[in-house]
This record gives sequence, C-alpha cells and structure tokens, in this order.
Amino acid sequence: MSKKQQFVIEVRDLFKSYGPIKAVDGISFQVEKGEIFGMLGPNGAGKTTTVEIIEGLRKPDSGRVDVLGMDALKDVRSVKEHIGVQLQIPALFPTLNVQEIVSFFGGIYKTRVSSSEVIQMVSLEESSKVLVKNLSGGQQQRLSVALAFVNDPDIAFLDEPTTGLDPQARRALWDVIEGFRSRGKTIFLTTHYMDEAERLCDRVAVMDHGNIIALDSPSHMIEHHFRESAIQFRISNSPGSKVLSEIDGVSNLVSDEDEITLYTDNVPVTISGLLALASSRSSQLSDLFVRQATLEDVFLKLTGKRIRD
Amino acid sequence: MRIFFNLFIAHYKQFIRDKAALFFTFLFPILFILVFGWAFGDPSQSFDVGVVTQDTSDIAYAVVAALNEVEVLDDIEVGDFNTEMDLLRDGDLEAVIVIPEGFGDSLQMGQAASLDVHYDPSQTSTVQILLPLLEQVMDGIERGITGNIRLISLEEHIVQSRELKMIDYLVPGILGMSIMFSGIFACIPIIQQRQAQIIKRLGCTPLRRSSLVLSELAFRMILVLLTTALIVLVGRLAFGVEMVGNWGVLCGLCILGTLAFVSIGYVIAAFVRTEESAIPIINVINFPMMFLSGTFFPVSNMPGFIEPIVSAIPLTYLTDALRQTMVDSTPFHPMTTNVLVLTGWLVVCLLITIRFFRWD
Repeated sequence: MSKKQQFVIEVRDLFKSYGPIKAVDGISFQVEKGEIFGMLGPNGAGKTTTVEIIEGLRKPDSGRVDVLGMDALKDVRSVKEHIGVQLQIPALFPTLNVQEIVSFFGGIYKTRVSSSEVIQMVSLEESSKVLVKNLSGGQQQRLSVALAFVNDPDIAFLDEPTTGLDPQARRALWDVIEGFRSRGKTIFLTTHYMDEAERLCDRVAVMDHGNIIALDSPSHMIEHHFRESAIQFRISNSPGSKVLSEIDGVSNLVSDEDEITLYTDNVPVTISGLLALASSRSSQLSDLFVRQATLEDVFLKLTGKRIRD
Repeated sequence: MRIFFNLFIAHYKQFIRDKAALFFTFLFPILFILVFGWAFGDPSQSFDVGVVTQDTSDIAYAVVAALNEVEVLDDIEVGDFNTEMDLLRDGDLEAVIVIPEGFGDSLQMGQAASLDVHYDPSQTSTVQILLPLLEQVMDGIERGITGNIRLISLEEHIVQSRELKMIDYLVPGILGMSIMFSGIFACIPIIQQRQAQIIKRLGCTPLRRSSLVLSELAFRMILVLLTTALIVLVGRLAFGVEMVGNWGVLCGLCILGTLAFVSIGYVIAAFVRTEESAIPIINVINFPMMFLSGTFFPVSNMPGFIEPIVSAIPLTYLTDALRQTMVDSTPFHPMTTNVLVLTGWLVVCLLITIRFFRWD
C-alpha cells in the first residue's frame, strides 16, 4: 500500500482569509484511514473553515487538499460522492418525513445504504412517517447524523453530532461512530465535548487563531502537558492568582470566572497549603475536588479559553 | 434524470403539504374571479349615457337610434350640452356623447368625422367597457351608411367580433396576477433553503445546484399551467368567458410570464437574506403592480406621473398579451412589444441575479 492511500485526507499549507482576518493561517495535517480524527478549538479558531474547505464547500486562498487520493479542490463532485457530511444545523426540508428525506438524500448518490438501515442506525424507525418539522430537536439531530452515512461514505464528517442529545442517545451515537470505524472507515469529528473527544478520538488537533497548536492522541496530549493532577475549587475572599500560584507544588493555575484550577504534582502538599491559606484568611472553599488532568485542561492551557467561550 | 425526478417529487410533496401555498396558487385566483365576477360582471349591468345632438342630419338620428338599440345602454338621455354635462358631473351618467354640428354632412361628403365622448375618469371601470362598445356601435352605423370606409373616429378604431364584458377583462387579468404571484414567490424556497442552510447541506452532496433550480422551475411551470387551465375553466363555467385564442400561444405567454417574474423573484433572493424581510418586499412589489397594471380595472386614466410606472411594469404587458390572446381584447400594445418587454425584464433580472446572487 502506498503512502498516499494510508492518508485519506492530506492538507498542506492551507490559507484562507476573510478580509483582514486570517481564518486559516497555513495549516498542514493528515488524517489516517480508519481513525477517528477530532478537531477542537474555540469558536472562531478556523475549524469550520478548515472542514468546509475539505468538504468542498469553500475555496482556500492557497494550499492543497487531497481527499481519498483525489484533489479535493478540483474533483469536488467525485470527492462529495465518497464522503458523508453532518452539519451543525440539521438543515433538512421541514415538510418531508424521515423516510422521504432519507430516500431523497440516498437518491443523490451512486452508492447507497438502504433507507431502513439508515433509519435503524439512529433508532428512528417509529418516527419514519413523521415530518421533519414535527421531530424533536434530538431526533432531527440523529436524522442529520444518519444522513452522513446514507452513501456508505469512506469518510464521515461530523460536526457536533451529539449536541442536544440525551445521555442515552449520545452513547448510542458513539456506538454508531465506533461501529463505522470498525469497518475501516474514517471519521472526522468536530466537537465541543472534551469527554467525547477523549473517549472517541484516536487523535485530536487543537486549533486556535487559524493554526493547529497541538496534534496528538488524547492520552499523549494529556501526558505531555500534564503529569500533574488538577485541584478545582471556588474560594470566597480570594487572595488572588499570584498568592494561590505560590502554594507549594503548584505548577500552573487557570481561573475561569470564580472557578480556580491548580495543577500540582504533589496533591497532599498543595491541598494542605491551600487549606492553610484559606483558614488564615477566613476564606470559604467550595466545590473542591481533585481529579486527573483531562483533555479539557489541555485545551484550557493551550488556548486560554474554555471550549464553550 | 433520476435525481431530477427525486427533486421533483420532493418539491411536489413540500408543495401539497404547504396549505398557504396551495391556497394562494389555486384557490386565491378562483376566489378573485368569483368575487369580482359576481360583483362587477353582472351581464345585466347597464350604462347611462347622455347624447347631445348638435347636428340635425339623418345620420345623427341614426346614431342615436343605434345607441338606443344597444342593450347595455340602458338609459339614453338626449339633451343639451350643459344639462348633460351637469348630469355627468353629478355622477348620474357614465358618459356624454356629443354629435358635433356638420357630422352628417361630413360623412355624406365622404369625409372623416368624429364623435366627442366625455366621461368621468373615476368611473374608469365602466367607461373602459363602454368605449370599445361605442366603437362597435359606430362600426355598425358606418357599415350601414358608408360601407367599409372608415370615417367615424372615436380614438382607435378596432373591429371587434365580440362584446367585451367586465368579466372578459377580468379573467386574463387574474391569470396575469396569479402568474406574477407564482413567479415572484419562486424566491421564497430559495431564501428559506439558504436561510435554513439546506442549500449548504445539499452543497455537501454531489447534487448540482442547477438541478435544484431547474427542477424547482419546472415544477413551478407545471403549477402555472395547471392554474391557467383552472382559471380558464372557471371563467368559462361560471361566466361563459370563451378562450378564443390559440392554446399554444397562451401556454407560451404563461411560460414567458412565469420566467420573467421568477427572474424578478431571483433578484429579490439576491438581495434579501431572510424570509421575514422578503415577504413585505414581495408585497410592496406585487400589490402596486397588481393595481397599476389594470388587473381589475383599466388604468388609462391615471394621473400623469404614474403613467411611466404603468408603462414600465411587466404585468401590464403580460395581462395585455393574455387579454389579446384569450378574449381578443383591444390591444394597448402590439403583441411583439408585450413579448419584447417581458423578455427584456427576464434578461435584465437574470443578469442582475448572476452578478449579485450568493448561495451562502
């Protein structure tokens, strides 16, 4: 197998500006066949622009994009034949029913999965005759995800696929995504949920200000950035970041409104230091807990923002 | 082709589930015809006309006698000029016809002569039916007296085989109106689908945008032709309005009219992002057009400043062309002018659309 076929997406030196704003500022990366590739970043980081260029919805100012060995900037229609897309907004004809929408979309492609299989995939069998506008938000979301698989694509691009879903539906959808991957297919996932990215993604790219600032597997990324644990709390009469970050063992501090996270490689020392500091100032500590660092901590450290900002 | 068919089915299903669209496409024009037809199209409707004879020739009396023969001229008042004009001013008469001195002599000497017709511009609806009617009457007199030589003038002079009633005027007008509505409303699905990102979603598939647009257009054409058939049918069954022209020409005009108005709709879609703002804009375009172009009432007596507007709006030309074809009415413009103006609108609007329309 040649190198070219191992990568189903290859992006090189991609640039895209909107007026003075550099939405995508010269990024390069590859996505391997059969992986779940996550793209994270705060709003306005350039994720959407990047994904839409790969999907053939936008033209870059410069750069090269190969998808499934095809030039995605030239053979746009051939690429679209072999990819499946779910947009953040369901965007479906409101007065068609589930069954009709699925067969309509299926009818667009040369290859198609049977409508009933697609509907079953996201458990909408009982709603197959319900008009889209009468579906709940979660049902619309599931339908929208299902449509990304209607042509049995080689790559499925999913943008926030589990937004608005209840925990059960969310887990069911994770199973769908993992089942798809187990058939050697590739998923390109954009998500706000760090736990989702951590659980599903083989590799994640973190984008900020048009650049990819980190690209690795979630576990490597966490290890690389945090050997420490996180102590998270709220404190009344706060002594301020400077004093808190001088507590023994603290390697880093992130504060998000009144919620403070201290990163430490020595939890007992830092905790006693924190308690001593709090009692000396008669400060109340609340919502205090200690946990392992997560992808969310990495994200916060890298971008300085929570992903929902 | 299969994709085109799928799209077509999708348009059809969406259409029949949209009660408002169904109403406006089919029921609305029919209601208009029925309401206006019964309100104004009463066949027993009559006109009161004053006649002033300043000429004492036999021919002048023959004219009065001929006018008396006309059924819809219910009450013919013969009197002196000032009295009759006062009655006209008071609204008791629809028109005053003056047979000027020397009218008969001129005709007998084989020279041209004209009748003066005074009428109240605010009574345009009745008067515009009356004027063609008078022309028919004069036509008859003339044939009796002078053979085929045209000597009596009353503005334009067109030989009409049929008596034009209000309903004859109305039915093609309603058809024109419904074509305008169907055409301009073509922007709504585009704006809706763009707004709801459906167009973006379809852009992620190999579907061509041209398929989307053309299938929608084809579907709209079929709707227009169905509406046309329905309007012609209702006009005929309810009011006995005969479609006298060529069906092919009528279909051609309907298609050209639809294209012209669809292109106006596309211009709206090029500049308006949301359905909420598109609807009032469509109304601002549609309603003045509907009234100024003479859908319900002829408009040759508009104040001067409106005339240029009237002569620019495409509906004027479409309804004129439809009237000429359907009921063989007196043309306001030659057919070629009508077709050229509609084509002109189509071309200009398409160019504007191509220049400014955005899919995202």
